[in-house]
Amino acid sequence: MSAIEPPINEAAIDPASRLDPAPRSSGVWRNAWKRLRQDRVGMVSLVVVGIFVVAGIGSALGLVARHWADEIAVPYAPPSFLAATLGDGLKIESTAGTVLSIDSVDPLEPKKAEIDQLTIKNHQVEKPLVNTLPFGADRRGRDVIEKAIKGAQISIFVGLAAAIVATFIGTVFGGLAGYFGGVANDILEWVYNVFTAIPGILLIFCFAAVLGPGIGSVVTILGLTGWTGVYRLVRAEYIKHRSREYVLAATAIGAGNLSRMFVHILPNISHIVLVQLSLYVVLFIKSEVILSFLGLGVPVDSVSWGTMLNEAQSELILGKWWQLAAATSFMAVFVTAFSLLTDALRDALDPKLR
Amino acid sequence: MGSYLIRRILQMIPTLIGVVLLVFVLFTLFGGDPAEIIGGLGATQQQIDSIRVQLGLDQPWWVRLWILVKQIVTFDWGKSWATQEAVSNIFATRLPATLTVMIPIFILDVTLAIPFALLVAYVRGSLTDRSIMIATTVALSISFLVYIIVGQWLFAFELAWFPVQGWTDSTWTNLKNFVPLPVFLAVMVGLAPQTRLYRSFFLDEIGHDYVRTARAKGVPEKTILLKHVLRNAMIPILTNISIQLPGIFVGSFLIEVFFSIPGLGRETLLAVNRSDFPVIQAVTIYLAVLTMIINLLADVMYKVVDPRVVLK
Amino acid sequence: MSTPKPDTTSPLLDISHLRVSFRVGKSEVVEAVRDISIAVAENETVALVGESGSGKSVTAMSVLRLLPGNALIGDGSSIRFGGTDVLALSRDALREMRGKDIGVVFQDPMSSLNPVFTIGSQIAESLQLHLGMTRKQSFARTEELLAEVGIPEPKARVNAYPHELSGGQQQRVMIAIAIACEPRLLIADEPTTALDVTVQQQILDLLAGLKERHRMSMLFISHDLGVVGSIAERVVVMRHGQIREDGPTARIFGDPHDAYTRALIACRPSLDTRPRRLPVIADFMSDSPEAAAVRAAQLRERKVRPVDEKPILVVSHLKKQYRLKTGLFSRKLIDAVTDASFSLSRGRTLGVVGESGSGKTTVGMMLMRLTEATAGEIVFDGRDFLALDAKALMDYRKRIQIVFQNPYASLNPRFTVGQILVEPMRVHGLLANDAARLAHANELIERVGLPASAIHKYPHEFSGGQRQRIAIARCLTLKPEVLICDESVSALDVSVQAQVLNLLLDLQEEFDMAYVFISHDLAVVKYMADEIMVMNKGEVVEVADADTIYRSPQNPYTKRLLGSIPRGYVAA
Repeated sequence: MSAIEPPINEAAIDPASRLDPAPRSSGVWRNAWKRLRQDRVGMVSLVVVGIFVVAGIGSALGLVARHWADEIAVPYAPPSFLAATLGDGLKIESTAGTVLSIDSVDPLEPKKAEIDQLTIKNHQVEKPLVNTLPFGADRRGRDVIEKAIKGAQISIFVGLAAAIVATFIGTVFGGLAGYFGGVANDILEWVYNVFTAIPGILLIFCFAAVLGPGIGSVVTILGLTGWTGVYRLVRAEYIKHRSREYVLAATAIGAGNLSRMFVHILPNISHIVLVQLSLYVVLFIKSEVILSFLGLGVPVDSVSWGTMLNEAQSELILGKWWQLAAATSFMAVFVTAFSLLTDALRDALDPKLR
Repeated sequence: MGSYLIRRILQMIPTLIGVVLLVFVLFTLFGGDPAEIIGGLGATQQQIDSIRVQLGLDQPWWVRLWILVKQIVTFDWGKSWATQEAVSNIFATRLPATLTVMIPIFILDVTLAIPFALLVAYVRGSLTDRSIMIATTVALSISFLVYIIVGQWLFAFELAWFPVQGWTDSTWTNLKNFVPLPVFLAVMVGLAPQTRLYRSFFLDEIGHDYVRTARAKGVPEKTILLKHVLRNAMIPILTNISIQLPGIFVGSFLIEVFFSIPGLGRETLLAVNRSDFPVIQAVTIYLAVLTMIINLLADVMYKVVDPRVVLK
Repeated sequence: MSTPKPDTTSPLLDISHLRVSFRVGKSEVVEAVRDISIAVAENETVALVGESGSGKSVTAMSVLRLLPGNALIGDGSSIRFGGTDVLALSRDALREMRGKDIGVVFQDPMSSLNPVFTIGSQIAESLQLHLGMTRKQSFARTEELLAEVGIPEPKARVNAYPHELSGGQQQRVMIAIAIACEPRLLIADEPTTALDVTVQQQILDLLAGLKERHRMSMLFISHDLGVVGSIAERVVVMRHGQIREDGPTARIFGDPHDAYTRALIACRPSLDTRPRRLPVIADFMSDSPEAAAVRAAQLRERKVRPVDEKPILVVSHLKKQYRLKTGLFSRKLIDAVTDASFSLSRGRTLGVVGESGSGKTTVGMMLMRLTEATAGEIVFDGRDFLALDAKALMDYRKRIQIVFQNPYASLNPRFTVGQILVEPMRVHGLLANDAARLAHANELIERVGLPASAIHKYPHEFSGGQRQRIAIARCLTLKPEVLICDESVSALDVSVQAQVLNLLLDLQEEFDMAYVFISHDLAVVKYMADEIMVMNKGEVVEVADADTIYRSPQNPYTKRLLGSIPRGYVAA
C-alpha cells in the first residue's frame, strides 16, 4: 500500500507529543492574504486596480468626468505639453487689408438697432473653445482624459458584470453536472457541447445580431457565451471532490446533498472560481473593447475605450495620436495590473515551492 | 475503432440538433423584426408586410423550423437579405480569402510558439524568464486593435513597406503583396498568449516524476526537454490546437475588416450589422458541424500521441 | 550469508557531515538532515530506516544531487563516491555518474516511468547514453535485462507501454533501468512500499539476487524495519534528520542500544502475542519506573470478549457488481465482491484482510451504505439494513460509523476541528444547542488525546496521526455501536500507528463497540481482530478466528499471504 506523503511540516511535529502547537488558526483566506501582503508586485497591482475602481465609481457617481461629452476645445486640440513646443504655429494669421462697409446696400440696416436689442436679450453665453487640453481633444473637441476615465468606468463595469454573470452560470451548471452526474450531467453536457460547437466569436456575433448594441446587451452577450470555461473547471472539481473521503464522511454522518454541495465542497473550490473570475474580467474587458470598436458594444451616446480606438484610427493618419495613446495606456495599465494581481492571487491561494 | 467512430458520430446528432435549436430560437424569438429593418425608416406598413411575406416570416414557427432544417440538409440557404446574393455563393467566394490569410497565421503561430516556449521553459526561474513573463503580460494588456491600428499606420502608411489594403483574384499576388502585413501583425500578437500557454504545459510536465527518473539516468537537460517533456506536452498542445482550429474559418474578422480582405469573417460582421439573418445562420451551423468533425479527428489523433488512450 | 566480507577500509560511498535544508516560502528554512555520516562499503547492503520526516529519502537523493531546486546543502558536507567528491563534480561529470556508476529505483513506478515511451526504449536509452551501444545492440541487451528482472516474454514486452504492466512489473522495469549499465551502487528509495505484500516479497528477492550476481552495493531506504531485516547487512536508523543508531543487522535486531530503535522494533505488532496495548515511542524515551510498571502491566495478554447470542451485525451473501461500458452496446460485469457473509458481536473485532482489488474496502462501503449492494442482506440489530428508507436510514447512521484511510483527505480542509465535530451532532439534532455540542466536542477531543485548543484549529495544522484521532472523535460524537476502520492506520508511521491502535482498543473497551477492521497489513489485523475474513479478488477465501488462521491456514492464498509477511531479521 502506498504511504501517503505528509507535508514537510511533519518533521517539526513530534507525533507523540501532547504539547500545544502554536495557537494560530488561520483559514485559507487569511493565510492567502498574509502571503499576498508579502508579494510586492501583487500589492502594487492591488493599489493600481484600486485606483481605477475608485475612479470608476467616482465617474459613475458623476464626481469626475461628468462633462466628458462637452465639446469644450477646438477639434483635435493637441495636448498641453505638446502645445508649448508648437507655439505660434497655432495662431491663424490675419489677412491684411481693409474691411468694406455694406451699410448703404444692407436691407436690414434700418432694423439694426432693434436686432441689437434682441441679441442682448437672448444672449447665450458661449464659452470660448480652448486651444489645448492636458492630454488633447478628439475630433469634436472633447477632453480625452475625461473620455478615458468615463471609458474606464464603462469598460471595467462591463467586464466585471459580464464576468460575474458568466462565472455564476458556469459554477451553478458545473456544480450540478459534476455533483449529481446522471441525467443532470447528460443534459448540461449537451448544452455545453452545443455552446462550444460554435466558435466563440461567431456565437458572440449571433447574440450581438439579435440583441443589438447597449451596455446591458454586451453584458448579456459576454455572460451567456463565456460561461463554458468555468463550467468545465467547476464540473471537474466537483467530480474530483464528491468521491473524496471528507465528502464520504459527510454522507456517513448524514449530511444531505445540498449541504455537501455548498457547505462542504464549494468552500474548497472557491479559490479556483475566484481566479477564473479574474481571468474573465480581463478577457471580457478586451472583448468589450473590440465589440464597441465594431459598433456592437456600448450605445452611440456613450464612450468606452473601444469607441475611442475607433475614432483614433482615422485620427492617426492625420497625425493626431493622443486619443489612441490615452485609451491604450489606460487600458494597458489597468489590464496589466489586474493580470499581475490575478497571478499574485493565484500564488497566494495555492503556493508551490519554487 | 469503427464502433468508436460510429458512437461518436451518433453523439454528434443531439449536439447538432441543439445548435440548430439555439440558432433558431435566438433569431426567431429574440431577433426583432428584420422586415422593419430592411424596409427602412420610411417604409409603410404595407411594404413591411410584403417584405415579411417575401422572407417567409409570416409562417408559424414550426414551419419556419422545418424550412431551416431543409435548408441545412440541402445546403440551400436562399439569398442574403441585404445583397440578394446567394448565400452558398457567399461561402464559396469568401472562404478562400479567409483561408489564404488564416492558414499561414495558424501554422506560424504554432510552429513559432513551441520553440519559444521551450526556450523560456529551459531558462525557467531565471531573470530572463521573469522579464519575458512580465513583457508578455504587458503586451497582452494592449488590445489587438491597437496593434493593428499602429502596425498598419507604421508599416504601410508611414514606412510604405507594405500596401495598406487590397485584394486581388490571384492567390499568388495576394500571398506576395497583401498577406504579409496582416499575417505579421496577427502572428506577433498571437505569439504572446500562445507562448505563455505552451510554457505552462512544459513546466507542468517538468514537475512530473518521470523527469526525475530521466535525470537519475544521466540524461542531459536539453534532451530531457526536447525528447521526454516535449513528447508528453504534445498531448495538451494537440488539445489546444484542435480547439483553435475551427476558429481559423471564421478568420480574424478584425484583420479582414482593417485590411479590407473579402473573407468570411468580414462578411459575417457585415451581416450582423445589417441583420442579415440567413448569412449568420448558415455560417454558424456549418461551422458548428466543422468544429465537431475537427474534435472527432483530434480525439482520434490522441491515440497516436498518447498510448494510454483507449478508444471505446 | 555467503557474500564476501565487505571491505571497510575505503568505503565505496562515504557521506560525511551532510546537512540539507529546504527553503520554504520567502524566508523560512526547514532543516531536513542535520549532520549525518554514513559509509557503504563495496558489496554491502546498507538499509536506511526511519519514519516520515526522518530525512532518509533526502539523504539518498543527495548522493546524486537529485534534490529539488529549493534544497540547500550545508557547508562542511561531503559526499565521496569511489574517491570522487560528488558535490564538487561538474554537471557533465555528474551526469556521467548518474545511471552508470550509481542507479536509482524510486518508490512509485507508475509515475516514475515515462508514459509515452515503451519500456524497452526507456531501458535502451541508458545503454545508448552511457555505454555507447547502437540501437540494435541496446535493444538486444534490453531483452536480456527484462528476462533477468523476471518479466515474462521479454521479446514481446519490449514494446509495451508502462500502463500496460502491473505495479510489480513496472517496478521490475525500473530496476532494469537502474542496473542496465552495471552500476557499483544501487539506491532503492522505498521500492516496495507502493506494492502489494505478495509482490513486495518477490521484488525483495529479485533485488537480493541481482546484488549478489552483479556485485553491487545497495543503499536501501525504507520505513519498515521488518522489510530490511531480510536483505540488509547493516542498518542505519534515522529520526528527525539525525542518526540514532548504526550497526550490523543482527545486533540492531538482537540487541538495540538506542531507545528509539528499541521503540521502533517493539511497537510493531508481533504475530505471536496479543498484548492489551502496544508499546509506543514515548514508553521507551522516558525511563521512569512508574512508566515501566504501567508498560509491563499492559503488555499482558488481552481479554477476549465472548460472542453474543444475538450479534449486532449479521451479513449474508453480500455482493457488489459494477457494469462497465466496453463497446458501442456491450457491457462488462465486474464483480467487486462476490459473496461475503459474517456475523459480528459487540465488543469484538472482525478483521478483513486482502491485497488491492480484493474488495475489502467495498465491503466496508456497503456496510455504511455509501455504496449500494447489488445483492445480499445486512441485518443490523435485528432490522434489515438494506431495506431502510431514507428517513429510517438517517436514524441508523448514528449507529454505524467509519474511519477512512487517508488522514489528509478525510477532514474538510475548510472546517475547524470544532465545526467538524459539531456537524454530526447538529445533523442528528443531538443535545440542545451548539454550545452544548461544542462542550461535548471538547470532551471527545481530550478523550482521543488531543489538547482542547485543537477545537479552533484547521486540519492542516495537525499530523497524520492527530488527524486520525480527530476522525475517530468525529465518529464518537454519534455514539456508534459499530465502527468500520478502513485501512485507518495504513498511512501512518509505525510508532503513530501503535498509538492509534491503542486508542481504538481503549475506546472499544469503554464503549463496547464492534469493529470491522479492514487492512492489508496482516500483523496489524492479527493484533486487532478476534475473527479474520481473508479476501482475494472479490471472493472470501477463508473465515476463521485469528489464531486458527495464523496457525493453520487452509486456503493456499492465505498461506501465500502469510508467507509474505516480512519477518524482520531471522538469525542465520
